[in-house]
Amino acid sequence: MRLKKYIAIAKISWMDSFVYRLNFIMWRVRSVLQLLAVYFLWVAIFKRGGTAFGYDQPMILTYILGTSILRSFVLGSRSVDAASEIAKGDLNNYLVKPVNYFANWLSRDLADKALNLIFVIGELIVLFYLLKPTVFIQNQPMQVLAFTIAGILAMLIYFFLSFLVSSVTFWYVEYSGWPLRFLSMVIIEFFSGGLFPLDILPPAAYNVVRLLPPAYFLFYPMQIYLGRLNAQQTAGTLAIMVVWVLILAELSQFVWRKGLKVYGAYGR
Amino acid sequence: MGKNAIEVRHLKKYFKVLQKETGLVGSFKSLIARKYEEVQAINNIDFTIREGELVGFIGPNGAGKTTTLKCLSGLLYPTSGEARVLGFIPWERRPEFQKQFGLVMGQKNQLWWDLPPMETFTLNKEIYEVPDGQFQQTLKRLVRLLDVGGILKTQVRKLSLGQRMKCELIAALLHSPKVLFLDEPTIGLDVVMQKVMRDFIKEYNREFKATIILTSHYMDDVRELCERVIIINEGTILYDGKLQEVVNRFAREKIITVVFSSSIDQRKLAEFGNIREYEFPKAQLTVPRTEAAKKAAKLLEEFPVADVVIEEPPIEAIIREVFTGRMKPFQKPK
Repeated sequence: MRLKKYIAIAKISWMDSFVYRLNFIMWRVRSVLQLLAVYFLWVAIFKRGGTAFGYDQPMILTYILGTSILRSFVLGSRSVDAASEIAKGDLNNYLVKPVNYFANWLSRDLADKALNLIFVIGELIVLFYLLKPTVFIQNQPMQVLAFTIAGILAMLIYFFLSFLVSSVTFWYVEYSGWPLRFLSMVIIEFFSGGLFPLDILPPAAYNVVRLLPPAYFLFYPMQIYLGRLNAQQTAGTLAIMVVWVLILAELSQFVWRKGLKVYGAYGR
Repeated sequence: MGKNAIEVRHLKKYFKVLQKETGLVGSFKSLIARKYEEVQAINNIDFTIREGELVGFIGPNGAGKTTTLKCLSGLLYPTSGEARVLGFIPWERRPEFQKQFGLVMGQKNQLWWDLPPMETFTLNKEIYEVPDGQFQQTLKRLVRLLDVGGILKTQVRKLSLGQRMKCELIAALLHSPKVLFLDEPTIGLDVVMQKVMRDFIKEYNREFKATIILTSHYMDDVRELCERVIIINEGTILYDGKLQEVVNRFAREKIITVVFSSSIDQRKLAEFGNIREYEFPKAQLTVPRTEAAKKAAKLLEEFPVADVVIEEPPIEAIIREVFTGRMKPFQKPK
């Protein structure tokens, strides 16, 4: 596998994003509005100070702002288009070329994530300047490192999971990917801890939700950043994430190979 | 005689196709109980193509031409049978194989829609690992041959269909493939552009000794480019051989066109053959092939004739008859 190929793919994907400037700006506006809504909700809850659900105000605001950075990196992606490529037969273009389809989409996703990350950091700087929130700065290098690793693993878990969802298109061609995609977006937003930290749920619910893959997208990495997990728990969490990555990578490759067998290469 | 570039043995590809009933109630029914029907897109075909050959696939829509090309490109796994392209099994999709063939589909594009064609070219250079020098040289040559120097930096979406097809061809040829599959490369193009494409394909075949399979609805494409044709209908091969032979083999009649110098008795003319058209002073009749010369001579004798022409029926007409089943499938002479 030659890296140069995939750098070229990332590059052209980036150029393509720039063509849709308006789309991109709207997407950014959407995420800023979403962030502000959740932000002000929590500010309201903490109006009288103190703690709620085991979090104090700086902690919860850090959680909210932190997830917005994580979200841009973990959940921002272009590989959602894979489903429509399969349905429309555009997949043909890749299948005839010496290129790995997974690596192709991973490069395109990384290009997109980098772009989103740059913008979200810019937005946060503006928000900090305007709102001046008190936040929690993690000063333990090990925690920051663990947080970074967790972010990367979360990105991979999401990538392979998303690929599995797209693969459904091989068997249900008429399904364009959107209904399921939309459903999974709503589910992910809730179960990943994008709206609130999952541990404020009733214990019974929390004990189920924390075992599901989406919990690793935003909730666990943020718990690591906030120092709410001890060294042992952190190591355990990272280990589970590695296992998820391996399982999902294997599974999605397996389903992909099965899917190609039934692929009709439609659309002429 | 060169080596074989493509070998196909007993290739079959069956599809399961969802049967949808019409109407709202029907749609709802098929949501619950799905009915599938097996379609035999390719049903046991065999052929061999030598290196450097340019072969035309002809057949009506849904005959199995495109499905065959998709199997040979490795897009589809066949239901059964074998195929080798340059010695590789296409559906294993080995990179060494993929670097040696190109596929162009007239109704599909690989160019990035929102970017100038040059960006796709550069991307393909990396994907196919084409060295810089070779890339520059090939690109320059193709751009000159197809005369697209002025549009390399224009967004693909703003190009005309003809310009886009030329760029599609370039994108598919930058890695100098030895085998080329062209599926309807001239579809939707005007006659001038069709000619440009044809000349280019011919040139590419000659210069690179490339093996080319071409499918087309336009007989002109096939007539001008392909010495050998494979006629496919309903997933089976009806004919494989020289295009000119199709006429000799299938046409049982010739067409005589006469122009009379004064009025004649139409009933008497009918005795000579089948009158296809009669509008004084011109008449057109079909006669059995073997008797054409004799009949023409007799016409000259018995009628006041100003002009007479004996012609083969047009290839389109013959092939149409082959497809509609009025001419029987045909065994290749040993």
